[in-house]
Amino acid sequence: MSVLSKVGKRILRTLIFHEPTLEKTYILEESEKQDVFGEGPKTDSKNKTDPGDNTNQGSKAGTADKTGQGKANNTDPGKKPGSVNETGEGNGRGSEKNREENDNSKQNEEGSPGKVRKILKPIPVGVDDLSKDGNDSGKNKGGQNGEDSKNKKETQNEDSQNEEDSQSEEESEISTDIKENLEYMKNAYSIPLSGDVVIREFDITIGEKNIEAFVIFIDGLIDSTVLNHFVLEPLMLLSNLDIKYVQKDIKTIILKQLLPYNQVKTVSFYKEVLENVNFGSCALFVDGLNVVFTADVKGWEHRGVERPNTELVIRGPQEGFNEVLRANTALIRKIVLNENLIVENLKVGRRSRTPCALLYIRDIANKTLVDEVRRRIKSLDIDSITDSGELEQFLEDNTFLPAPQILATERPDRVASMLEEGKVAIVMQGSPFVLVMPTTISTLVQSPEDTYMRFPGGNLFRIVRFLGIFVALLLPGLYVAITNYHQEMIPTDLVLAISAARERVPFPSVLEILIMEISFELIREAGIRIPGPIGPTLGIIGALILGQAAVAANIVSPILIIVVAVTGIGSFAIPNFSLALSLRIVRFAYIALGAVAGFLGITTGIFIQGIIYAKAKSFGVPFLTPFGPKTAGAAQDDFLNLPIWKREERPDYLNTGKRRKQDSISRKWIVREKGSDES
Amino acid sequence: MKRISAAVLLTVFTVLLLTGCYDGREVDDLAYVAAIGLDKGVTNKLKLTLVFAVPSATGGSSENGGGSGEKTSSILTLETPSIMAGLSLANNVVSRQVSIAHAKVIVFSSELAREGISNYINAFNRLRELKPTINMAVARGSAEEYLKSIKPSMESSVTKYFELIYRTYKYTGFTANTSYFKFYKYAKSTFIQPVATLAGITKNESSADFATESSIVRRNSGFPLEGEFKAGEIPRAGDIKADIMGLAVFSGDRMVGELDGEDTAYYLMLRGEFFQSTITHVDPINKDNVVLLLIKQSRNPVHRVELSGGKPVISSKISLEGDIQTIQSEINYESPELLAILEKSVEDFIRKGMEELLQKTAEEYNTDIIGYGAVAKRKFATWQQWLDFDWHKRYPMAEFHVEVDLKIRRPGLLIRTMPIISSKKGSV
Repeated sequence: MSVLSKVGKRILRTLIFHEPTLEKTYILEESEKQDVFGEGPKTDSKNKTDPGDNTNQGSKAGTADKTGQGKANNTDPGKKPGSVNETGEGNGRGSEKNREENDNSKQNEEGSPGKVRKILKPIPVGVDDLSKDGNDSGKNKGGQNGEDSKNKKETQNEDSQNEEDSQSEEESEISTDIKENLEYMKNAYSIPLSGDVVIREFDITIGEKNIEAFVIFIDGLIDSTVLNHFVLEPLMLLSNLDIKYVQKDIKTIILKQLLPYNQVKTVSFYKEVLENVNFGSCALFVDGLNVVFTADVKGWEHRGVERPNTELVIRGPQEGFNEVLRANTALIRKIVLNENLIVENLKVGRRSRTPCALLYIRDIANKTLVDEVRRRIKSLDIDSITDSGELEQFLEDNTFLPAPQILATERPDRVASMLEEGKVAIVMQGSPFVLVMPTTISTLVQSPEDTYMRFPGGNLFRIVRFLGIFVALLLPGLYVAITNYHQEMIPTDLVLAISAARERVPFPSVLEILIMEISFELIREAGIRIPGPIGPTLGIIGALILGQAAVAANIVSPILIIVVAVTGIGSFAIPNFSLALSLRIVRFAYIALGAVAGFLGITTGIFIQGIIYAKAKSFGVPFLTPFGPKTAGAAQDDFLNLPIWKREERPDYLNTGKRRKQDSISRKWIVREKGSDES
Repeated sequence: MKRISAAVLLTVFTVLLLTGCYDGREVDDLAYVAAIGLDKGVTNKLKLTLVFAVPSATGGSSENGGGSGEKTSSILTLETPSIMAGLSLANNVVSRQVSIAHAKVIVFSSELAREGISNYINAFNRLRELKPTINMAVARGSAEEYLKSIKPSMESSVTKYFELIYRTYKYTGFTANTSYFKFYKYAKSTFIQPVATLAGITKNESSADFATESSIVRRNSGFPLEGEFKAGEIPRAGDIKADIMGLAVFSGDRMVGELDGEDTAYYLMLRGEFFQSTITHVDPINKDNVVLLLIKQSRNPVHRVELSGGKPVISSKISLEGDIQTIQSEINYESPELLAILEKSVEDFIRKGMEELLQKTAEEYNTDIIGYGAVAKRKFATWQQWLDFDWHKRYPMAEFHVEVDLKIRRPGLLIRTMPIISSKKGSV
């Protein structure tokens, strides 16, 4: 039980403190897996269901250790595995030793030398390595489960059996026997239980020989016409034709002469085959070959490229991302138009293997930044992931900071311009929101339109937006502070007007403003959740009729309606939804502070919020850059825009490979023939 | 992170527990005093008059019909030993807590002002609520009567009335900015003395009450010019009884005399605080008619003080510019020759008025309201020498030389005056 509580503590600590040294926790977790048999992965539901049983197993495993492994360890009485488990720090060290012993024993038993050692590798090096690590640990587990299977219930046994199967199937290479392969695939997809997986068996005739073959694909994920015309038709019909130059082996003939489709991969592991088929490819198994050809014939139903729903602009491109990874990367590449744009493929999720793409421009983006983003993504040890909103939460530095530290955008042009600045983007399959990092406060208040609009107009937008932020954050708090503590601050006539308006309101002004703010939040939330066509009606009912009625009923004063409405409008003027949401939360704190201590309270609040923001970081960049730590060229684009020909440098805080983005005289036409004669 | 959030939570709770809103007051829990009047009491030392602004009448929503029929102010008069005691007493009469944060004017009766007002000023000085920009006024007669007679006709709010009427000096020049902090500063100064706005009530019920004997002609123009009145003296009748015009001159905290509107305009010019005003000037050629000029101060006044054997010799240079508003005689003063005559005439008139004012402050009132002491003290090497010199004692001996430089710049929309042609042979 003590081990369990320790494990719990560790989870809690990683949750709360976000240990930046992920490798470290990784090692510890893995070593514990070794130490307490079958208990390793804490998130495993199986273990949670039956903790008592597990401890038993643990102790038994301990004894097994003792008996089965090197006697040298046992001679030392202080290092009994059982006692080691009880001490906190000794746990890690002791377990390492145990693990080594395990290695030795397993080498003998399973004939898989050095596999466990791989787990210890502190930094996952690549996708393959990571996946192998996962397999290995699973395999060990499987093995252990097998050992302890006598003690387990039937269901658990089944579970472990399945796991064992899946582990081995992912690892194992493809057989040359097509019957075996067919059996394997049927087993993997639980055919005929699973209805949408299709297996089509046929023969390929090459020369005199008739070779058995089959394709497997998932109905709905693929484009049928493409499969018919470019995969099945050539194999079944054209192979009968007289081939002029006959290659030596069947594999080369099929790959180079019989499959006219453009994207064909040769795969030799089941795991990869399954991954490809799951993502819309068809796999071609041929008798006698230990490889499989997968053709990327995906053609599932998806939304087209439409206007973005959130970041609307008047001037500028009107395309938004959709849910298809490749469409999204293409939308970005369409704007960047440079061979240095790198689109790295990554997979997230142990089970889902959701494809993601890491985008950056090779000669601009800082390498350490790219490495850090890649490291964070690869380190994710999760089953599956659905949307980039989840991914954002897994990657961000500080969960409890109100402001977002990663920008999520629907606009390809925005991503492209930020990539050009030297930032890094992550596109995820199934999400129309692309993540861009690092993100600082100035990025969050910018709209892509700021630069598309001419200099004066763009800056007017900016100023209005800052005003919106100020109003959305502080106005209700200031109203409460002034009406409760600082009546002398406002013009006499306004005081009299507020006083007259409040005369019949039975509540104190704090309660009054809370009632209105909360009902406003209610209207907003309802407005989002309500089925489409009724939405605007609700807004009208909520905002107009309810407000008017509340005033008429003397529940709130009319001036307060103005305050709440202006606050709401202010928060709508903020271009980033996530930032606006954070201000909406913090606003309530300011109402409380204003009610409790007037301007003093609000000043204190701003001070504390400032400290928290000044401490926060996004991928190593302080959140308040370029204002917090003042960086060079901060005036270019961060508070107000300079004219476009003066925005010469990329942000200082990104430490980009290429500092300047345009020449000091970008508009060469202003230089007259004689040289120095500028207009 | 856990520690920080704990710290933040702790701060929030500490703030809640330590402050607890104990001095928070809702806007509608307060009664706002618009004006404070101070008279000599009958049964006690002081008679305190408070004018309250009534919010429901002034700031009422449209559903109340604008509140034009309702009373916009409420007056409370009580006798009390001191101002603060009076405010406490007032709380027992008025349902809401009395707040003087929005008071616009403090009115002293001239009787009280002549006795000295330092007692009351000290009380105000310690109050956090009182705005230092509140106006200081002296009512000719009773402060209570003055405040009672105020029935704003233009505004629904009495505070607005006070705010606006004490700002008219910016375009009339007949009163001055006499805010409380200036008054207090000057009253304690070694080189300048304070003034307060003069307020009064007209005695005329209708125009039938106008009497020639009450008409004042201070300067020899044959008829009273528009500046030759003090508060309450203007020949007028109507529903507005109260008015302000002129200044009460103080020596320290004691009122020693009164200035009429024209003197006030000269006072402002000498102080460099003159914005603009129309002055009526007797035509230098055709004495039956007048010329009207809109006068502005073009440069700050330049003062010089020489000390010859302890006697201050003061010279001032005033730079003005003017626009012609009316030429009744239809003489073409726009022409350069005649313009010089007009300028000279006006300069002489203003210079004479200023010299008379300065003589009066020195010989009659013995108080330096212009602040020549500020110039004189530059002659002294140490502060002690300046204190020993005792400016306020020396000022009455002063000799004055005033130079006025007037440039008429613009003739209005007419560039040349042509006489009206009549069939009858008239004047040129």
